[in-house]
Amino acid sequence: MTFVWTESELTPEQSQAVREENSLMLVACPGSGKTRTLTYKIAYELSRLKGERQFIVALTYTNRAADEIRERIEGLGVDTSQLWIGTIHSFCLEWILKPYGLYEQGLAQGFRVIDSFEQEQILEELCRTQSGITYWDCGYYFNEQGYVLTCRDQNKHERLKAIFALYFRRLAENRQIDFELMLYYSSRLIQNQPFIVQILANIFPLILIDEYQDTKHIQYTTVASIVRAGAGQTKIFVVGDPNQAIFDSLGGFAMEVEQLRQLCGVPLTELALTENYRSTNRLISYFSHFNVAATNIIGASPDRAFSSNISYDMTLDRDQLETELVRLIRLYVGQGISPDQICILAPWWVLLAGVTRRLAAALPEYEFDGPGMVPFSRDIENFWYRLSRIGLTNSSPSQYVRRLRWAGQVIRDLENEGVDTAELSAKQLLRESNSIQIDQTDGLLYLGDYFDALMNRLNIDWKSYPLLSEHHTAFFDSSAARIDRLRREGTAYIAGIDFFRRVFRHRSGVTVNTIHGVKGGEFDVVIAYGMLQGMVPHFSDEAAGDGGVTAAKKLLYVIGSRARKHLHLISEQKRARGRYGVYSTTDVLLGLNFDYDIV
Amino acid sequence: MHISKLTLVNYRNFANADFHFEKGVNTVIGENGSGKSNVLRALRLLLDDNMVRASRRLDAEDFHRGLGSWKGHWIIIGVEFQEVSQDEAIQALFIHGTGVGQPEGLVERATYNLIFRPNKQIRMNLAALDSSDFDGMNAILDQVTIDDYETVFTGRSTADFSDPQTYMRIVGDVENATFSNEIEFPEIGARIPGTLSITKEVSFTFIQALRDVVSEFYNNRTNPLLTLLKSKSGQIDQEQFQPIVERAQQMNAEIENLDDVRKVHEDIVETIHGAAGQTYSPSLLAIKSDLPDEADLLFQSLKLFVGEFDESHEGKIQELSLGGANLIFLTLKLLEFKYQHERQALANFLLIEEPEAHLHTHVQKTLFDRIGYEGAQIIYTTHSTHISEVSNISSVNIVGRNGTTCEAFQPSTGLTPEKIGNLQRYLDAVRSNLLFAKSVVLVEGDAEEILIPVMVKKVLGVSLDELGISLINIGSTGFTNVSVLFHQTRVRRRCAIITDLDAAFMNLEPQPDDSPDVVNYRAKLRRAQVSGAGRKASLDAHSAGNPWLQPFYAPHTFEVDFVACGNSEKVADSVDDVYSDPATRVTSIAELKSGDPAQFGKRVLTMANHEGKGWFAILLGKRIDERTTIPEYIRKAIIFAHGSFSTELMFSILKHRLAVNNQGWNPMPPVLHAFSQRLNEYRSGEIEFNAISEEARVALPDDQILAFLWDLA
Repeated sequence: MTFVWTESELTPEQSQAVREENSLMLVACPGSGKTRTLTYKIAYELSRLKGERQFIVALTYTNRAADEIRERIEGLGVDTSQLWIGTIHSFCLEWILKPYGLYEQGLAQGFRVIDSFEQEQILEELCRTQSGITYWDCGYYFNEQGYVLTCRDQNKHERLKAIFALYFRRLAENRQIDFELMLYYSSRLIQNQPFIVQILANIFPLILIDEYQDTKHIQYTTVASIVRAGAGQTKIFVVGDPNQAIFDSLGGFAMEVEQLRQLCGVPLTELALTENYRSTNRLISYFSHFNVAATNIIGASPDRAFSSNISYDMTLDRDQLETELVRLIRLYVGQGISPDQICILAPWWVLLAGVTRRLAAALPEYEFDGPGMVPFSRDIENFWYRLSRIGLTNSSPSQYVRRLRWAGQVIRDLENEGVDTAELSAKQLLRESNSIQIDQTDGLLYLGDYFDALMNRLNIDWKSYPLLSEHHTAFFDSSAARIDRLRREGTAYIAGIDFFRRVFRHRSGVTVNTIHGVKGGEFDVVIAYGMLQGMVPHFSDEAAGDGGVTAAKKLLYVIGSRARKHLHLISEQKRARGRYGVYSTTDVLLGLNFDYDIV
Repeated sequence: MHISKLTLVNYRNFANADFHFEKGVNTVIGENGSGKSNVLRALRLLLDDNMVRASRRLDAEDFHRGLGSWKGHWIIIGVEFQEVSQDEAIQALFIHGTGVGQPEGLVERATYNLIFRPNKQIRMNLAALDSSDFDGMNAILDQVTIDDYETVFTGRSTADFSDPQTYMRIVGDVENATFSNEIEFPEIGARIPGTLSITKEVSFTFIQALRDVVSEFYNNRTNPLLTLLKSKSGQIDQEQFQPIVERAQQMNAEIENLDDVRKVHEDIVETIHGAAGQTYSPSLLAIKSDLPDEADLLFQSLKLFVGEFDESHEGKIQELSLGGANLIFLTLKLLEFKYQHERQALANFLLIEEPEAHLHTHVQKTLFDRIGYEGAQIIYTTHSTHISEVSNISSVNIVGRNGTTCEAFQPSTGLTPEKIGNLQRYLDAVRSNLLFAKSVVLVEGDAEEILIPVMVKKVLGVSLDELGISLINIGSTGFTNVSVLFHQTRVRRRCAIITDLDAAFMNLEPQPDDSPDVVNYRAKLRRAQVSGAGRKASLDAHSAGNPWLQPFYAPHTFEVDFVACGNSEKVADSVDDVYSDPATRVTSIAELKSGDPAQFGKRVLTMANHEGKGWFAILLGKRIDERTTIPEYIRKAIIFAHGSFSTELMFSILKHRLAVNNQGWNPMPPVLHAFSQRLNEYRSGEIEFNAISEEARVALPDDQILAFLWDLA
């Protein structure tokens, strides 16, 4: 039966997007119910699938987003067994590299995907072969022609190329690929073996891309070649906001509709979600100053007339920063705003680490939740990471469905490694897991014991399965290194089991995040500091033709559009730059004439 | 889409076998114990959704016994599908897991394997060994248990595991302790993705031998009629059905209102009130008619009534003969495929184990002849020669035992359609068990067909059957049409052809005193000689380079050479059966014993033609005994056809010759007694064949068995 919804569920412009029969590019302004529309679109199309042999593919920017969307669709009562949802990397791995890798010389003899920690280790080692190069210079991505260095300092490119020559050779010798190579090899495979896209086009009637503005060219062409092979049978649905394209340094960009139309070779409708249900009119009018894509935004929230506080502090000294943050947090909690509705943002994680620590000390009654505070390696392809999700969550009715799905995935992983799982069900795995009691306060030690105990109960000698062993080493090595680094930065408590458990718990407390990490989030109060030239915009973007104005605007647009009610920007003074200098205030903010509030 | 090939490597009684299948009906024929059931089981492991998952985890018992130790070896069960295409949406998911990409960017076939092999750790350890490191290999393999093995399913493989070179390159060479440094081989294909379940993609039905079909009709789950109806009840036309529903409801009401029903109802209510009183009685009690008014429930009440043959009575299934019930069952199953086909099942496979157990031969013949095979590929096994004749030779696989291992042959590989046609017509016509034979001797006439079995039994003490030799009378000299079967790429069974060279047995030079009859006779012999030489040239060319086929020629003609090799007495003894005239009898006996081919040759042929060759052979047959000499060319043909003689067989043949030579003496003469003892030693393996041959030369001088031994040495 076709999935239906009522008028209270979707607005007319959302409904129109869901019902659109053609391929669609949907430009969604902040707070316009983008995820909701995507969710309903998937549910609607799932219910209209013709055969049991077809799959709908949804590509999300993070695995977390994939989980969330899947759960929402299941919440609508729609069967998701014919939905494949995940990141483009997982998609390439599952649907292209694993099944067709044998047609690619570099993959034919088997391959292993290394996680970012392993990549960092290799690159760090190779950087020692060249003077003046650090791991941080080693960003790269692939386009169809080859790899692109993201380091803006052209003088370093000669040396970086030497490093990457060694790096690729090293990976090839060990039959390893990193995340970028996954995209590269997928692209090669579908170019060299044209039947692959034909087969995939027959399996996928629809491919959706969430956050299309962060998609790389090679990703667009990979997806587009499947759509093109479908000759009208396969449709594409991309949704996102060009104003929030803040990953261009990694190669992400919002493709123009005409270019995508050409690439896919199908009729492509263009629609927009223009109604913002999140922010007040005052906030919208503020962040609209940073609109670089000329999109239309209409305030539609019931509270849109609320009088927001929007402040900009460009006089505060750097050493007064924590005091000011404490003041603001106390102020809003005092007004009845829940701590988890407050978000503190900065452009870089290094700016946040120390501040978070000091805030935690100054406000012991609140919890703080930050992205870099995950104490163990979050490599979604790692078997032990996947298992840790079960080990670190408690059995509860609200978590049951999710844990069941995780358990199912763990069983499939085991089966793939050749473990005999004929007798093992997801329920049984959870039951065994729930009955494990371990008295251990150190998080990593706890996980080690937990893994051993569970494998023991399931009668699986994991050490005799090479991939499980490799993953085990990778998981514990990278986690130990991570904890070590966090500890050096002064967050010793992060190694405790309580902190480990918090990772998968529903987020609570004050959110501390980077601008890039807060993607998609919304909060009553957003407080952002580090609004400094060289950070906003990033110093590497200052080399661009407009001196980084567009880059800075996009960052400010993302910051401003996170807030429901109040927004506070801080350009703290006297922050040291290099040995002698200090950072100056962000030019774009200096140039903006706005009637700020004083709070 | 259909299964085009099945490859079994190290699986049960197959060391290495390829089966080839065509669209439509396919036959796997073979004697009992030749592994037919294992062929079906292998297909089921790959394709049957009803097969328990656990059975796909194989066991040490599943390894081919001939391997010796299974440790380190792999079992591979692979199927190949043809008529697949990347363009067909319905096949897309299947092709995604199994389609073999061609260099020019097409997908035309798909492969799917079950591989049972040592786990990665073991394979890595073996790969790390140096070549010929036996100690290292044994140290690893000694520790291996069946729990160290894994089952993997792969698709799109291109490796031909039935090629021993390929097997050794990938699996390793356990004999020589040599293993590749690699442990991953793209040729073995990619793992089947978790999103694809092959068994769910195809519909697969297995009909076991001796299945109790009647009880299946009574089980709601297995009743094929219900399955058919159920698939229709979902799409029922509401307009057509509404009146039926109304009538059902109306009938329910009418039944409830029948006077007798109402009376019973009133009586019940009254009795309860009387017994329990108003307070404790149920407040509502009704008798309702429960004729269902929903499509699927109504359909469940439908039953199949069948009148068998021309009976006017239609009876229930259980009243049918077993054969009749089976026929109905198979028919409904085939119809089920047709329905499923409409609902886009990727492919339908029907495996029938020994349909002779289900159906009468004639019914089988018509059933398999007439079914529209569009929707289903049928593979059945049989040991019946009757049914094998129904099947098209191009869709036949033969399984046969060869020592401990079983082999598969395709009788028509590489033959032109014309040759297949000839073979097919021959097999159809003679209902021969040619396809089942372990080895074959082809002869051209009745005389050979009648006398060779008798001679072999008498002289060697074992029958042709015991030797596993089928003697087939072609009834002409057209051997090539049939013998084309026996070839390295087709039926790998030995086939000896016994035929007459028809060389003249007398001087062909005309003599001055020749009568016109003699002139004619010489001319006739010359013509025969010329055509015989021509046949030899073509037969020799036909069998050249074929290790499975060899012609053996009677220098002249069977009857003539039978006399020539030392059986003139036997033939002379039968003169009285042929002639009644005393003078002719005397002349004939003198000629037969003359030792002059010109005389006995002409005489024996005259006698044979006089009686008819077949009847003459029957007359001769009565005279055949243990001392009849087997002509050399027949002896050699038998030896070739049988192949190597086992010790046990030699023992019993020599034992027989010993008894023949003993002539009833008791006690045995010392030389025979000594031979008897040596014979026992030979049997127990204490002495060799050459030694016992030497002993036989001493103990059985002049016995024709010495020539056998000489040929065998």
